[in-house]
Amino acid sequence: MRREPASAAGRRDDEAAAVALCGLPGIGPVSLGRLLSEAGGPAAAWEAVRSGNLGRPGNPRPGIVPWAVAAARIDPWTRWEAAVAGGIGVTWVGRPDYPSRLALDPLPPPVLFWRGHLEVLDRRCVAVIGTRRCTPGGRRLAWELGRDLAEAGMCVVSGLALGIDGHAHLGACTAGPRGATVGVAASGVDVPYPRRHAALWQRVVERGAVISETAPGGPAQRWRFPARNRVIAGSSELVVVVESHSGGGSLLTVEAALERGIEVRAVPGPVHSSASEGTNQLLFEGAGPVRSAADVLDAMGEVRATGRRRPPPSPPPERPASPPGDPARGSRDRSAQRGSGPPPAGQPRSSRRDAVGPAGQGEDPRAARVLAAVGWEPTSLNRVVARVGLPIAVVVAVLEQLAALGSVAEERGWWQRLR
Amino acid sequence: MLATVSSATLLGVEGCAIRVEVHVGNGLPGFSIVGLPDATCREARDRVRAAVVSSGFKWPQHRITVNLAPTSVRKAGSGMDLPIAVGVLGADGQLDPSLCDGIAFFGELGLDGSLRRLAGTLPLVGAAREPAVVVPVACAAEASLLGGTRVLAAVSLRNVVLAIAGQDQWSRVPGAAPATEQDPGEDLADVRGQPVGRLAVEVAAAGGHHLLLVGPPGAGKTMLARRIPGILPPLTRAEALDVTRVHSAAGLELPPGALVLRPPFRVPHHSASMVSLIGGGTTQIRPGELSCSSHGVLFLDELGEFSSSVLDALRQPLEDGAVVVCRARHSVRLPAQCLLVAAMNPCPCGGDGSPAGCRCSEAARARYASKVSGPLLDRFDLRVAVDPPDVSDLVAPDPAATETSATVAARVARARGRAAARGVRCNAAIPGRRLDELAAIDGASRRLLEHRLRQGRLSARGMHRVRRVARTLADLAGEEGAVAEEHVLAALALRSEPFAPSRGVA
Ligand SMILES: [Zn+2]
Repeated sequence: MRREPASAAGRRDDEAAAVALCGLPGIGPVSLGRLLSEAGGPAAAWEAVRSGNLGRPGNPRPGIVPWAVAAARIDPWTRWEAAVAGGIGVTWVGRPDYPSRLALDPLPPPVLFWRGHLEVLDRRCVAVIGTRRCTPGGRRLAWELGRDLAEAGMCVVSGLALGIDGHAHLGACTAGPRGATVGVAASGVDVPYPRRHAALWQRVVERGAVISETAPGGPAQRWRFPARNRVIAGSSELVVVVESHSGGGSLLTVEAALERGIEVRAVPGPVHSSASEGTNQLLFEGAGPVRSAADVLDAMGEVRATGRRRPPPSPPPERPASPPGDPARGSRDRSAQRGSGPPPAGQPRSSRRDAVGPAGQGEDPRAARVLAAVGWEPTSLNRVVARVGLPIAVVVAVLEQLAALGSVAEERGWWQRLR
Repeated sequence: MLATVSSATLLGVEGCAIRVEVHVGNGLPGFSIVGLPDATCREARDRVRAAVVSSGFKWPQHRITVNLAPTSVRKAGSGMDLPIAVGVLGADGQLDPSLCDGIAFFGELGLDGSLRRLAGTLPLVGAAREPAVVVPVACAAEASLLGGTRVLAAVSLRNVVLAIAGQDQWSRVPGAAPATEQDPGEDLADVRGQPVGRLAVEVAAAGGHHLLLVGPPGAGKTMLARRIPGILPPLTRAEALDVTRVHSAAGLELPPGALVLRPPFRVPHHSASMVSLIGGGTTQIRPGELSCSSHGVLFLDELGEFSSSVLDALRQPLEDGAVVVCRARHSVRLPAQCLLVAAMNPCPCGGDGSPAGCRCSEAARARYASKVSGPLLDRFDLRVAVDPPDVSDLVAPDPAATETSATVAARVARARGRAAARGVRCNAAIPGRRLDELAAIDGASRRLLEHRLRQGRLSARGMHRVRRVARTLADLAGEEGAVAEEHVLAALALRSEPFAPSRGVA
């Protein structure tokens, strides 16, 4: 459900022109912003470009099509109609529906495309970001932060990527009706990237919005990712980094946030975990630690009705019920059905299985031994067996039970404690 | 005048009896060899002429025609130098041809008339129908392995001609007695902190299950693989002769005493060509590394670096237990009953492959995994991740985790005995349709497997392989009857998916 654009013909001219301007070759936020402000609006800017009165800044390089030539090949109305038909909205700096926090940004997206409900960006927004190469524990915490922050009425902003980002969105999508989430895309809002997140994009559109400064249909070019990261930072009041390798892309978002005076917090991790090197460095440099959504809400000055410091342990992340026939949910994603999902009905039961108590620890001494051997970092089955000193069959049986209870998760043969 | 001398030629790893007919007659002096000789065989003309002259005999100034019968068989190699030389001397009257009756001749001649060792002595001697064979002294031990044939060893052409005529002694046949026990190799007791890897090699040895070890450099993959021959049952006499025959035909160096007693362990480099790995060749069909590791281990280190065509060519022979090389006139069957053990890194970045410890992009990892095709990956009943042991875990090692190769080998031998009692070569060879009969599983195991199938964590094909491995685990534990759930669980854990893509959320 998009906000209906005002029916005035001038408004439609502006929208079509805004779509067309973003299709000019090599145009970026700086040059587009300059165009819009010099001309005083999209329609005027488009006219100026077409007539050749406004061109590419600096010396034109050979081999690059001048904007006037490129503009002659672009029909703004076809593009605008295609966008409208695809449920894509367009807005620009200065329009009343442009997100208020972004409008104050030093380098806002001059033109913003969106699908879903753009107005959720006017709520209190928290960015929950991190690496694609995350640990099961990091993934789980991202999911919990997403869910609990959305439950508390926050809008969870992230980058729609694999790993931490995706799970933060997913957690927010599973929260109650107050929850909202916004995905900032590097590609066009109608070009899901990565492809296997197509179903997630749809859910984010339903529970909030997918926004992008890339024109519809545009691919996720490499240079778009750092630019996208500044939009994540600029949309949020606070940035939480769940896991980040040293030198990881999340640290670009952190930099953009710090330049803008936006608070950055990080989740502490094991000192040996490569996926926590970046976040632990942030903590060392003085970023505030985040252990749960409560820490984030405290930092934002949210007063909560409940006096509990930390939320109760949560069940493992629910796997989204994707729409039938969804191309992103093929057999190639079989591995996704492992570990982090709840046990499907019909879990075989045996005496060994029953031996572990519902808490997953304490009752069966072997379960406690196995949990201790797994530890908080991804650990190979080999090492778990070596540490426990029990036959592999026993260790595997206990691990499977612990996974079914959500105490451990497995990925590609590596196990990690979740709680 | 005509002389006929017996010999044999190699077809793959089998010998094929050949009659060398030499005619020395009137006509312009010349020397021709007919009857499908290959290039090396044709070069015999020059070697034989030089050897005859250097040995102090006269080269007949007549027309010499050599016919190698039967003419339908391609004759390869230099092993027919000696019979041709003897035939020429016989046909020319410098040697009484009737003295050559009942003797087969083998050997390559040097230009000085010396006899040199030749590849494939064992199968060649096996093909000879004569009660005695003349071989180079370097091959005498090998030639006497079969027994039943009188082995006459010689050092040179002159030695042969004089000894046949009773004017010289045959050389002493060395080391006819079986050699001393060969080096058993490294011991499993040295492998610490690798319980999963140790179990995997034990199961591989006990059940003949092909094994893929996945781990970062330095994790100990090669260390584990090298210890498998030491826990395999020692070769039986028949197996030892089979292996020796192949090694001999491939021209590999044989151990002292000539008989290969230990299961072979072959490590072809990843740049190996199709022919050197699988066998074949343009003129002479030679066994490849696959055949040379029969009854032993073929270890492919850096599996992902092998060319995909070579790896694809491995699949069918592994399934059939034999390589069939077809040529225009005949086809040759080479053995391929080996245990395939392969090793590769989890991904190209050199990390440990853990979710956070790998710097590869999704695409790079997928590309790396795709180097090993799904069908080949499927041939590995056992796929285990190996990681370097954590020093902190090695402070107080579990005594059970430091068993010696001898202890493990005894269990492996008992398990192999149980499989043999069921009438199969090894558990990996149990046909799918006989699984219920030979590898029955109990109710809990069945429910566990059905659950995994429903979850999509196991394919129907994979289930068969898991059941065979579970049978081997039960055999190792000495359990008869239906296989218990614990063994199925362990079998599932020994068949991991090391190349699964990173998880998306939807
Ligand atoms: Zn990697």
